[in-house]
Amino acid sequence: MTRTDTAGRPSGPTPPSGPSTPTTPEEARPTAVTRRLLARSEAARRTSAARVKLWVGAICALVVIIPIVLAQALPLPDANGQDLGNRLAPPFTAGHLFGTDQLGRDLLSRVLHGGQVSLAIGVLAVIVSGAIGVVLGSIAGFYGRWADTLISRLLEAQMSLPLLMMLLLVVALFGPSIPVITFVIAIAQWPEVARLTRSLVLVEREKPYVSSARTLGLNRFTILLRHVVPNVIKQATLVVLLLLAQAVLLESALSFLGAGPQRPFATWGRIISDGQDYVTTAWWMVTIPGLFIVLLVVGVNLLGDALRDRPRRSTASRLRRFVGLRPTTSAPAPTSAPKKETLA
Amino acid sequence: MATYILKRLGQGLLTVFLTVSTVFVLIRLAPGDPAVAYAGPLATNEQLAAVREQFGLDDPLLQQYGVFLQQLVTGNLGTSYSFQAPAVQVVLERLPYTLTLSFAAILLAAVVSIPLGVWMARRTDTRSETGVNVVAIAGQSMPDFWTGILLLSAFAVVIPVFPASGFATWGGLVLPTVTIAILQVALISRLVRREMATNFAAPYLTVARSRGVSERALTWRYAMGNSAIPVFTALGTRFAAMLNGVVVVEVVFAWPGVGSLIVRALETRDYPLIQATVLVTSLLAVGVQLLIDLAYPLLDPRVRLGKASAA
Repeated sequence: MTRTDTAGRPSGPTPPSGPSTPTTPEEARPTAVTRRLLARSEAARRTSAARVKLWVGAICALVVIIPIVLAQALPLPDANGQDLGNRLAPPFTAGHLFGTDQLGRDLLSRVLHGGQVSLAIGVLAVIVSGAIGVVLGSIAGFYGRWADTLISRLLEAQMSLPLLMMLLLVVALFGPSIPVITFVIAIAQWPEVARLTRSLVLVEREKPYVSSARTLGLNRFTILLRHVVPNVIKQATLVVLLLLAQAVLLESALSFLGAGPQRPFATWGRIISDGQDYVTTAWWMVTIPGLFIVLLVVGVNLLGDALRDRPRRSTASRLRRFVGLRPTTSAPAPTSAPKKETLA
Repeated sequence: MATYILKRLGQGLLTVFLTVSTVFVLIRLAPGDPAVAYAGPLATNEQLAAVREQFGLDDPLLQQYGVFLQQLVTGNLGTSYSFQAPAVQVVLERLPYTLTLSFAAILLAAVVSIPLGVWMARRTDTRSETGVNVVAIAGQSMPDFWTGILLLSAFAVVIPVFPASGFATWGGLVLPTVTIAILQVALISRLVRREMATNFAAPYLTVARSRGVSERALTWRYAMGNSAIPVFTALGTRFAAMLNGVVVVEVVFAWPGVGSLIVRALETRDYPLIQATVLVTSLLAVGVQLLIDLAYPLLDPRVRLGKASAA
């Protein structure tokens, strides 16, 4: 499938033919605006949209991530320090920017420290699932035959399973420790990465450099590791970024259901679950941690989207542009492998 | 065609079998004693032994598995510890609630997201479209339990329009449905937009337009006709996922469905009930997937089942 996001207007690769050959009603009138210019503006618009997404995404994510990372260094009250004389204080009370919860604990401190747990679990899970996915996906794509059959079957079987239910089951049975939760989320997410890597490797495998490398006497494993994987890893990592958003959401759902990391860790899901009983009297206990989740996930999603839509340029050509040289006529390597985004 | 269905049916049953077997192994691997959960923390050793004897928990693992397979074939997974009723029956009693909720949610999602996606595809990259797109991304990023609680407090407590929990009246269906549909609308409308935009840019559409086909027909018959399969697949897959994925929303709204049942079964380590829930939901999920695949030829006459199209 071609991945043209241009709507309504045909922007095929046909060179600007003479003005006397109108192809669409829009081009019926003689005009100096060639199709090439139109395509260019279309592309320009898309690039600028991607740039806006990139910036907005980065800002949203950083607004959440930076305070979380600095939580230890910031002058905050103890996340678990109770102050029963000051229960359910609304936001902006002295000393408590976000107010306090039902035990008088500072909400800002709890949200930031909880964020450390949620974020750490998300990042770890995504690294593990990315590693499993890339390894299994590239094996399936490169070696084919029974390895492919086995891994693909496993993928399909897992994707048709009740996901959250299985996660809950494992956590309930093996105890909600951080390693178990991380592992469980990683296991839930590897199929996505593996499927993408497999399809990328399938394309890459047929390229001439692979057969040349074989002719030169490299063994297949070396080719896969040294030549094929480096060519697909960049696109695979982009998906991993989108998976981070999902991992954070999954972790918060598990925590909400009481299957998250146990006390004293204050994860976002549990803060919300605790606040559920006070939602009418203390709206901030539910709303604020939720907004943190939304901001982080929106940011990461936008970043992932933008990086995917961004026109790919090689580092060399970017460098050349930076130095001020015109890019050479050789087009950048078309890295347009099938990358059909799937629903989460 | 018949062989294709049989093959797919076999695959589906294999998946279900592997799933329930995995769950069987997981349950036995896990620390924790169901006898304690059943008899309570104050039970004496004799009582615990009696409970283990009663449920066959002391038998060798392979023998337990054999018994389990027998039960699986007969569709009788034993008695739920906490409900004191056949486990499968307990699940089946809850199933209509989950089905109702899932069906309402997917219906709402389809009704909203398809026109929205088409609208977005017709005006890609305009300012209003970008705005809607950003809202959709935000909708996709909200944890459903959070939206659920907010909707609940807004429309059941502050402005009491709908009942807060349960399924006593049809009004109780509204809030959980909306909660689930928000995420689905966000996902599916963006998919519709992508598919439709691809088709709007395709040469065949230009040809049809030049032959004087009306814009309405271009949109709904030509472009939508060619986007139907991926959109339908997405809707079906989301529906299948919902049948067991609405756990969180069911808990928030105290919905008496399968989702809140499994949470309770896990808390009480009710092994037969866990097994029955997993069996029923995975059967349903596999069944819905099969139905989706079987519906492809209806949507696109070019598709022949069992040929290369199975991919």
